[in-house]
Amino acid sequence: MAASRTAARAGRLTLPVLLVLTAIVTIAPFAAMVLVAFAPESGQTFPDALLPDRLTLANFERVLSGSDVLRWTFNSLVFSFVSVVLVLLFAAMAGYAFAKKRFPGRDAVFWALLATLMVPFQATLIPSYILVSRLGGVDTYWGMIVPTLANVQAIFLMRQFIVQLPDELFEAAEMDGASEWRIFTTIVLPLVRPALATLGVFVFLWHWNDFLWPLVIGQSGEMQTLTVGLATLQSEDVPINQVMAGATITVVPSLLVFGLLQRYLTDSIAMTGLKG
Amino acid sequence: MPMSSAAAVAPPPGGDAEKGPAAGGPPQPGGGGGSGGRARRRRQARAGLLFAAPMLLLFAVFRFGPVLGAVFLSLTDYRLNGEWTFVGAENYTRLGGDELFRDSLTVTLLYVVIFVPLTVLLSLATAAMLHQVVWRRGLFRGIFFLPYVTSIVLAAVIWKWIYDAEDGLLNGLLGLASLGPVDFLGSGGLVLPSIALTSAWKGFGYSMLILLAGLQAIPRSYTEAAMIDGAGPWQRFRHITLPLLRPVLFFVLVIETISAFQVFDAMYVMTGGGPVRSSYSLVYMLYDSGFKFFDFGYASAIGLVIFVFVLGVSLVQRRFLGKED
Repeated sequence: MAASRTAARAGRLTLPVLLVLTAIVTIAPFAAMVLVAFAPESGQTFPDALLPDRLTLANFERVLSGSDVLRWTFNSLVFSFVSVVLVLLFAAMAGYAFAKKRFPGRDAVFWALLATLMVPFQATLIPSYILVSRLGGVDTYWGMIVPTLANVQAIFLMRQFIVQLPDELFEAAEMDGASEWRIFTTIVLPLVRPALATLGVFVFLWHWNDFLWPLVIGQSGEMQTLTVGLATLQSEDVPINQVMAGATITVVPSLLVFGLLQRYLTDSIAMTGLKG
Repeated sequence: MPMSSAAAVAPPPGGDAEKGPAAGGPPQPGGGGGSGGRARRRRQARAGLLFAAPMLLLFAVFRFGPVLGAVFLSLTDYRLNGEWTFVGAENYTRLGGDELFRDSLTVTLLYVVIFVPLTVLLSLATAAMLHQVVWRRGLFRGIFFLPYVTSIVLAAVIWKWIYDAEDGLLNGLLGLASLGPVDFLGSGGLVLPSIALTSAWKGFGYSMLILLAGLQAIPRSYTEAAMIDGAGPWQRFRHITLPLLRPVLFFVLVIETISAFQVFDAMYVMTGGGPVRSSYSLVYMLYDSGFKFFDFGYASAIGLVIFVFVLGVSLVQRRFLGKED
């Protein structure tokens, strides 16, 4: 009896133990990154890198002074925040139009927009680049930002959300003589705030983590984003401790967003299947 | 990656999004039929067009334009200075005879075959564990999701060091067991699995969440009934849970396959395509053709090949999902 009870308990513990082990392995690369970033430069080889006798900020100081990390951070912030604001505004407007307004060809247009999901961005990378370059947008913020605003997932999400709002709301406002723009700003926008928050987080992460488009558009060192800069940094002859210090800097905003909005993010993926 | 996501081709089953544009098809009652119906309808139509205008303009110029542009460019020898002549299908016949293209196609297909099962199994295993173990579920879910919010470049930088043949973490651990060193990224046979593991680590949290939602949508009574009939945990998972999870699993399979066909960032950072092009993918070749050799026509043809693959995967999905319903 006792033996079988022990066996049963062991069986019950197998999954939790496996779960903890998997979690440790998942986190380990981050932990290693942070440790190496704070370790003195001499301790490059294992196990010194992971068991430094003292911690130091020297790597951060060197990477901040020796590379353009601050400039890259600034570029990433501009790229991400401006995109978030504009995508949210335009997607909410379009979502409202597709959900509540009837105009000729509306449903056909909506399907055509959705169909662009089937075209991977890489397939149109070259023509997009030539287009932006002919418009003079290489190495500019607008050249980096504007083409990424055509975001069909954002329109889709906003339309799904606005469709559920009762029509009576808008009709009543219309009777009172409110202009369309006023209805949009005073009724639609406040009501869709939760959807805007979720979408905003995703758009931020998509842009903050984007690589290929900033790589081809921000060619000069001046215009590199953090991801592009980090890739450059590690390809040069920079000590690994400094690379990891740079890497740690790039991950801070994502972690902040994650820490504040984890619940929000995970729930909305389960519900809508948004993907970066 | 805002624009590189051909991923969410279909909403996952079980979510609100399922009642997508298809179900929402019947037009909303715009309040027509009241007094002054026609003037009001015209006003509504005008307002609708104006509200949609910024996005419609953006799509026309930066999405539909480039799609047509890609087809056009692939039929020309467009060069950096903007000069071009029409060359017909020459870029495509050239692709057919290009060893570099054949190699990068092989690498991409191999990568798909390695990455997709790896990441789907990882997401399924973690989702199944989270579903079973209630203890600290939120915490563990958060941990598994953490890598997903970082960039693939960051993942590549960290893992490049982990795999390093001399100072790497993994070889340090192997050294403790008097094994190695193994040159993970320098060996033609190990480089693709190593990169696939990095990408899987970075991204499995997303598919895990979708699968977890799918698992939680399965009524408890099904597995409980099987338990009463004496089925063990593995049998219950294999014969009850897994068949019921199939539509969700299929969705995850498709989006991961599509993302695998677009692999580039990790290879660019970790190996530069090496050793000897063992990790030189289609998108890598597209990038080099375009931005190293400025052979824009040829690069566009490669882009359309990638599009055809992704489209093929999406169409397979449509067919199967159609059958499921």
